[in-house]
Amino acid sequence: MSVPHDEAPADVDLGRVWISVAAQVWRRQPGRLERTAARLLRSPGLARALLTTPSLLVPWLIASIVVLAAGAAATLGSGQPVVALLAPALAAAAIAFAYGPGVDPAWELSCSMAVSDRMVLLARALAVFALNAALGLAASAVSTLPASGAAAAVTFGWLVPMTAVCALALAVATVTRSASAGAAAGVAAWLITVLSGRVAGGHFGAAVTDTVLFLPYLAIGAGCAVVVLYATRIPRGILR
Amino acid sequence: MNVEISDLTRRFGRHQAVDGVNLQAGPGVFGLLGPNGAGKTTLLRMMATVIPPTTGRLQLLGRDPGAYGTRREVRRRLGYLPQSLGYYPGFTVAEFVEYFALLKEMPPSRVPGAVATAIERVDLGGRARARLRTLSGGMLRRVGIAQAIVNEPELLLLDEPTAGLDPEQRVHFRALLRDLGQQATVVVSTHLVEDVGAACSQVALMDQGKIVFQGTPAELTARGTEHGTGDAPLERGYTAVLAAARS
Repeated sequence: MSVPHDEAPADVDLGRVWISVAAQVWRRQPGRLERTAARLLRSPGLARALLTTPSLLVPWLIASIVVLAAGAAATLGSGQPVVALLAPALAAAAIAFAYGPGVDPAWELSCSMAVSDRMVLLARALAVFALNAALGLAASAVSTLPASGAAAAVTFGWLVPMTAVCALALAVATVTRSASAGAAAGVAAWLITVLSGRVAGGHFGAAVTDTVLFLPYLAIGAGCAVVVLYATRIPRGILR
Repeated sequence: MNVEISDLTRRFGRHQAVDGVNLQAGPGVFGLLGPNGAGKTTLLRMMATVIPPTTGRLQLLGRDPGAYGTRREVRRRLGYLPQSLGYYPGFTVAEFVEYFALLKEMPPSRVPGAVATAIERVDLGGRARARLRTLSGGMLRRVGIAQAIVNEPELLLLDEPTAGLDPEQRVHFRALLRDLGQQATVVVSTHLVEDVGAACSQVALMDQGKIVFQGTPAELTARGTEHGTGDAPLERGYTAVLAAARS
């Protein structure tokens, strides 16, 4: 059947045709990294949140500055394990603030999404540490830089282990479908990392008996208790 | 009923923002009117599961959003436009709408078509690949509406959706609202009574955290025939009901 070239057949819905054309034209092809992350995290939304983290520039800068400062204090400071134990709390608070109500312009909207905002936060933390670790590795590799020794110390003593801790937390959260369980796993992993470092240095006795450490241990214990209580709380929104 | 609320309250410190609200809404466009500070936005934020109620019962799409599993299920079928929606300036219109479609856990294969449909429905097809930083306030508001409707929500919550839209866009938007209300429950919070008169089949008027009137726009208009003040009939009904509630 011939159709005049300036008219569409009567039974063709041009609007629908245009939508399908526009869908193909505007479609964004996810890269290999995003596709892999989506498979591992079982969530294309979470993978997208992970990959877009550095592109949100202001939150990224704030989170990175605090993470690097906490890392410098933990690895180049007094050598007290109390600093190493509390540094992740400071870094987590900074990331939560930067990608939360503090700076993220679309935070309110994110809170109404099916992908939990706490899962998104874990993904953001992984992205912040992983990219800074990659930059730290690059800086450490350039041995002509005057600060390459310090960069290596922060990278290998803080950024790389914390990247692993965040990856573990996100993995546990994905498997258990609970961001709280992921966060608790991350806290436990970091505690073990710091204490095993003390053991390797022959300071395990001090790590157990040193009264300076009691406060951070109590803080971590209380934090874990809060996480457990929060995760098992009676749901709000019901008649009471 | 897609929305069933009984004795709902929300307190911020000593301030009682929402005070014992009872509400039911099925498919159609439901207008939430009231002066500034009446509690409309707080009520809408609770319905969007952004904040939990202090006390009371809230059922959305037949489910209690208090538990994580059901809340997630509700959120997949929910669309929400906050009063002050922030944007990621480096994203394009299509990227922004797609990002939230993915966070709503839409099946990835459906996302490109849904994004294109939503962008066309708010008449932004010509700017789909424009960065958000280059758009006007009215266009940004339409981007916000596009992300809210991208998953074809069964419950759509819009807080001051026509703020920043020019008259032509508002007329277009009201037609879109009526269309959406054929299938879904659309709750529109506004202080512009003409939006309610043009698009809503039901209306509730809030004041000081309470619902002081619920009915059709015609019933609200009828309340203002003797005592109300204002230029339009619906405005007279609005002021008459508020005056009666405060006396």
